[in-house]
Amino acid sequence: MTGGMTGGTGGGARRTDDALVRAGRALRLVLLIALAVLFLVPFYLLVRNGLAAEEDITSPEWTFFPSEVHWSNVRELFTDPDVPMAHALLNSSLIAVATTLGTLLLASLAGYGLARIPYRHADAVLYAVLGTLLVPAAVTFVPSFVLVSSLGWVSSLRGLIVPTLFSAFACFVFRQYFLGFPRELEDAAQVDGLGPWRTYWLVVVPNSRPVFAAVGTIVFIGAWNSFLWPLVIGQDRDAWTVQVALSTFTTAQSVKLHELFVAAAVSVLPLLVVFLVLQRYIVAGVERSGIDG
Amino acid sequence: MAAAYGAARRRRQALWFWVFTGPFVLGLALFTYVPLAWSVWLGFFDAHNTVSPTDFTGLDNYREVLGDPAFRSALGTFVLFTAFIVPATYVLSLGLALAVGRLRAAQAFFRSVFFLPTACSYVVAALVWKLSVFNGVRFGLANTVLGWFGAEPVAWLSATDPPWYWLVVVTVRLWLQAGFYMVLFLAGLQRIPPQLYEAAAVDGARPGWQTFRHITFPALRATSVAVVLLLVINAFQAFDEFYNLLSDARGYPPYARPPLVYLYYTALGQGQNLGLGSAGAVVLALVIAVVSVVQVRWFGLGRREA
Amino acid sequence: MPISRRLLLAGGAGIALTGCGSNTGRGGEGSGRPRLSHWYHQYGEAGTRQAVGRYAAAYDKAGVRVEWRPGNYDQQTAAALLTDSGPDVFEVNGPTLDQIRGGQVVDLTGLLEGVKGDFNRAVLAPKTWDGRVWGIPQAIDTQLLYYRRSLLEKAGVRPPRTLDELVDAAGRLTAGPVKGLFLGNDGGAGVLGGTPLYAAGLSLVTDDGKPGFDDPTAARTLGKLHRLYAGKSLLLGAPADWSDPAALIQGLTAMQWSGLWALPQVKKALGDDFGVLPFPSDGPAGKPAVPVGAYAAAVSARSGRREEAKAYVKWLWVERTDHQEDFALSYGFHIPARTSLAAKAAKLKEGAAAEIVGFTNDYGYAQPLLWTVAAQTAYQDALSRIIKEGADPEREVKAAVRRTAEELRRAGKKS
Repeated sequence: MTGGMTGGTGGGARRTDDALVRAGRALRLVLLIALAVLFLVPFYLLVRNGLAAEEDITSPEWTFFPSEVHWSNVRELFTDPDVPMAHALLNSSLIAVATTLGTLLLASLAGYGLARIPYRHADAVLYAVLGTLLVPAAVTFVPSFVLVSSLGWVSSLRGLIVPTLFSAFACFVFRQYFLGFPRELEDAAQVDGLGPWRTYWLVVVPNSRPVFAAVGTIVFIGAWNSFLWPLVIGQDRDAWTVQVALSTFTTAQSVKLHELFVAAAVSVLPLLVVFLVLQRYIVAGVERSGIDG
Repeated sequence: MAAAYGAARRRRQALWFWVFTGPFVLGLALFTYVPLAWSVWLGFFDAHNTVSPTDFTGLDNYREVLGDPAFRSALGTFVLFTAFIVPATYVLSLGLALAVGRLRAAQAFFRSVFFLPTACSYVVAALVWKLSVFNGVRFGLANTVLGWFGAEPVAWLSATDPPWYWLVVVTVRLWLQAGFYMVLFLAGLQRIPPQLYEAAAVDGARPGWQTFRHITFPALRATSVAVVLLLVINAFQAFDEFYNLLSDARGYPPYARPPLVYLYYTALGQGQNLGLGSAGAVVLALVIAVVSVVQVRWFGLGRREA
Repeated sequence: MPISRRLLLAGGAGIALTGCGSNTGRGGEGSGRPRLSHWYHQYGEAGTRQAVGRYAAAYDKAGVRVEWRPGNYDQQTAAALLTDSGPDVFEVNGPTLDQIRGGQVVDLTGLLEGVKGDFNRAVLAPKTWDGRVWGIPQAIDTQLLYYRRSLLEKAGVRPPRTLDELVDAAGRLTAGPVKGLFLGNDGGAGVLGGTPLYAAGLSLVTDDGKPGFDDPTAARTLGKLHRLYAGKSLLLGAPADWSDPAALIQGLTAMQWSGLWALPQVKKALGDDFGVLPFPSDGPAGKPAVPVGAYAAAVSARSGRREEAKAYVKWLWVERTDHQEDFALSYGFHIPARTSLAAKAAKLKEGAAAEIVGFTNDYGYAQPLLWTVAAQTAYQDALSRIIKEGADPEREVKAAVRRTAEELRRAGKKS
């Protein structure tokens, strides 16, 4: 990410009209700033509406920011007797963390096996894995639900987590990445007498952190944001996730906009923090992982 | 002797293969293939409100779903949606990547801004779009802006003439996913060797469009193929934003109803016609498979040029 | 904190396929009392959840656990009824014909012995199939037209008595950002349903099981609804849908179709500045119409404690008239399903509430049990296309009639 990476303009600029280039660059910057503002508008609306009084939101005169900031909306949200928001946040965190760790473990092992261990039927296994990418989850939804409930997992964290751990997408990304992993490192480990298992844990994993970060973040976002499965499996109020709690505000007969938006903001906030902190790794991971082909 | 050694080695490798992939494959079989097979089986039965039907009806469900104008129009909706969303996301994310990638300063800032929506859920985004940006009354943001120019408020999601709901549906997905694909393109740009540009400059290619056309774009081929494939598969599986934007307690309007929404109302809601839903699902999965395979064959996914 | 223990089992082990006790919300309680789970959909009115919890706690023959379900309730119950981990007792906007015929709900006829005549006939009828009762009506809901008196007076419009007057009034009440009429964000197809048909003297399904709108009148009446949309007098895209009186209260519309449950809110916000009307009649054979319906308490056939569940339903929805009255009248606003309770309720005896009770008695119709989801979808699609796209009403009605006839044939096939 150092300067000059996309040196497309660097070499030629000197020879072309300097003013033209500078004008182009300014135009690009203006466009970028405009787009950035547009991209931030939804976040702004979350905050604006979440901290406003109901009348501010529905007033025919647009106010850019509530004249009086209603932090009480946050308190109202967390003390609402009908919506266990704090508990739902805890559930979502547990589920997202467990799902992420489980998926990384299972998918990386499988991806490594598929990429690196010669086996006659490896291609068949790979196609069987990739095939599932083509089947939308909603298609198998009812049988999945019946299956999980016959295991007695309804309203349990197991039911919310385990069935979602087997991500073909994650497995494929790991396989693509491991295909390009430098063989010399593994060969050196074998010379040192390490078997495949220990090679994997002592050599391959420590050298693949960015990919784990990238896949982990994508899985984490997916787990945090998933809605339909937790809604149907989490029948017990104690098993509600943030998204399910959020949906109670939209399906109630009367909509309280300020509480709805403050709930939405609260549901997004933890992810934004995770995201901003890990962003570097995600980008680095994508660059090295081959997600992009 | 060498052969015997080879056989033992192969067996050992097969064992290691399954040690690594076994747990994953087992889980995938249980939680994906079992329900999938179950769905396929249901498709051959009259399965109203049951998952263990006894009334075998052969291909009746397939005949019915393919003959249902609502299902065919759902497929049409998908084609239309794809025609909007795939080029729009492609152009926007590539454009963002090119612009952000060339920034000297504040690159990380702009990248973060465009990447940030990836963290939002469809539920939250649909909420903001439906209730704040594109609500149909005067205090919606879009209508407020229109009001500044003296225009009448528009009922964005309810209007069918012109079909403004497409603007809502497409922009919400564009906002959510453009940043992610921008990062993929940024990664692709990183991999282009700078020598290519230097050589082009020596050959007299002007920076800007010519360089892009002859160097950057061809060098991004692998990324482009992967991005388009992902975009199409994701468009096929579109459900969340449509459902959260357009459905209400009483159902769903007869327009902008993509296949998964159709299947949802056939099989998952109170309809519970699981046989018909499963048949439709199988048809849909086959269409996705054919489209994907054609794309992969056509563009040659996985061929890397670097 | 039991949840972290469960997490260790689930997350730590990765695949804890064989595990210890599941938590389906009705594990043992320690004492000898059986445990029952009872599902409700999420009511919007504050206090309802606490109230149903109180009733459940007052039952001493079983430990009842109330589950309060947000989101698409029909879909969740439909899926849960396929499994053993669903509810024992659940309220349902039905049960549907397919649920009854699929053997998913238990026959509750015996529970009503001696009191069946006290239940409102209109809402009990759709819970009855083959002479047996499959759900106990809890409280009656109805819908009606609210209007702002002051806005009508200002525009010199009198409360509409016919569909033509309604269309005309909506147009004249539309002024700038204030619209004349709000029928829901979809333009009315969803919430109106069969109401315009009944107002024209037709029905959805006839008593002898034929499509009830196979008549040129249907196309003529439904076609008038398009004039509302085309004349831009309908409010569309409000943040809160028709079930919430917010649009009327916020002054976005002069008239709004909404539910009886909204009455307390409307009264509180508007005082005397509102009136109520049934859906106005159309044509010589027509008379005004309001839809009536009731959520019913049903017992899942997959429940392991069917007898206990039936005993509990009988206790709550048949015997405990005090709870029934509290449920119907103390939170939102519903009419008790028992005519004796409805006659007693002081709140229903005056003002707008009394008028509305009169509408339900005189003009109330309930969706027939034979009106299946597939038929309803076809009809609603047709209605939406008529209203919003100006599609040819005759052709659309004909298609919906065809689909309805198919469904009715299926329903008659093996009853």
